[in-house]
Amino acid sequence: MYVVLVYDMEADRTQRMLRLCRRYLTHVQNSVLEGEISEGDLATLRGEIEDTLIAGESVIVYELSSDTLLDRTVYGDDPTEDSRFL
Amino acid sequence: MDRNYHVFSNGRLERHEDTLRLATEDGEKKHIPIENAEAVYLHGQIDFNTRLLSFLNDNGIAAHVFGWNDYYSGSVMPERGQTSGRTVVSQVRAYDDPAHRRDLAAAFVRGSIHNMRANVAYYDGRSADLDATLERLDTVADSVAEADDVEELMGVEATARKAYYGTFDSVLRDEFELGTREYNPPPNEVNSLLSFGNALVYANCVSAIRATALDPAVSYLHEPGERRYSLSLDLADLFKPLLTDRVLFRLVNRRQITTDDFETELGECLLTERGRQTFSKEFEETLERTVEHPELNRKVSYQYLLRLEAYKLKKHLLAGEAYEPFRRWW
Repeated sequence: MYVVLVYDMEADRTQRMLRLCRRYLTHVQNSVLEGEISEGDLATLRGEIEDTLIAGESVIVYELSSDTLLDRTVYGDDPTEDSRFL
Repeated sequence: MDRNYHVFSNGRLERHEDTLRLATEDGEKKHIPIENAEAVYLHGQIDFNTRLLSFLNDNGIAAHVFGWNDYYSGSVMPERGQTSGRTVVSQVRAYDDPAHRRDLAAAFVRGSIHNMRANVAYYDGRSADLDATLERLDTVADSVAEADDVEELMGVEATARKAYYGTFDSVLRDEFELGTREYNPPPNEVNSLLSFGNALVYANCVSAIRATALDPAVSYLHEPGERRYSLSLDLADLFKPLLTDRVLFRLVNRRQITTDDFETELGECLLTERGRQTFSKEFEETLERTVEHPELNRKVSYQYLLRLEAYKLKKHLLAGEAYEPFRRWW
C-alpha cells in the first residue's frame, strides 16, 4: 500500500521521528514522508511510532490501498523521483 | 514487496541513523529505506566499510557489484539465514543421479523454450510473420523428450535460442540489429543490451536462490563450474525472455533507447550510464508488475516468480513433488 505520513514533534525531537520513518519511507519535505510499504512493515512502523511519541506530539498516517488510486501532483522538484536509481 | 536499489553515481554508501545513505562525490546525500530493500546494485565506484556490511547482513540485503563495463563481478551476500544440510545433500544427490539430473535439466529447457515461444507468438503478426520460427521452436521442444543426457539438452537449448534470436531483427526497428549473439565484448547495441539485461536477471536469481537453503553453485542444466553460481544460470534461462528480452523490445521500439545511448570503440559497443539507467528503470518496473497466480490465487510480482522457482525446486528435491518449470501462462 501507499502511505503519506506527517508528524509534529517537539523541536529538539524531530530527528527521532525522521530517523525512524526514513527506514521505511522516502523523506519528501520537512515532517512529511511517503512511499510504498507492506502491511507488515506498516504494522511494525505504527508500533515503533507509538513507542517514540510523548505527550503533545502527533503522527498522522494517510493510507491508500494502492498507489494507482493516488493522484499526485508535484510542483517543482519531486523528491521521490527515481529514488531507486541513485 | 522489497525493491532493488541501483547506485550509478560514485561515492560512499554508509550506514547512517539505522538506514542506508549514499553520499555522492558531488556532495549530495540520499537515503535508501532499509526496510523495503531487497538488494543494492552497485554500478558506480562505491566506497564502504565493514560497518555497512554488517548492517546489510543484519537486514538480509545483498549487494551485487558490477565492475568494469558493467559486467557482473560478484555479490556480497548476507550470512545464510537458511541453512539446511538436508537440502544441500538432496541437491547434490539429484545432481549425481544421471536420470534425475537429466529430468531437471530437461525441465529447464522445456520451460525456456516455452517462454521464448511466448515472446515470438506475441510478436508474430504484430511486426513480422514469425510462423516459421514458431514451428521450428515446436519441433525443437519435441526433441527435449528424446534427449538422453545433459549435453544433448544443452544442444537443444542452443538450437532453440538460435532460432529465437533469429526473430529479433524482424521485431526490432531498423537501426537495431542483433545479427548473432556475441559477448566479451558485445559487438553491437542489441548484444550489449542482452548482456546487461541478462546480468541483471542473473543477479536477481542469485538473490532468489539465497532466500532458500539451496546451494547456488550446484546446478543441473549448466555444469557446476568454478567461481560461478551455476544454479542461477539454470534459473535465469527461464526468465530471460520474460525480463531481458521484453524490456529490450519495449525500450528500443518505443525509442526510449536510441543509438546515442551507446559508446562504440574497437569492435565493442557498450551502454552509456544514461542507457544503463533507462534500462534498469524499465527492468525494475517490470519486476514489480504483477500477475494473477492460478495456484496461489493471488497476485504475485514478476520478481516473486523468481523466488517461487527456487522454492519449487527445493520442494521437489526435499519432498519429491514434481518440478514444473516456470512457463508464462498469461
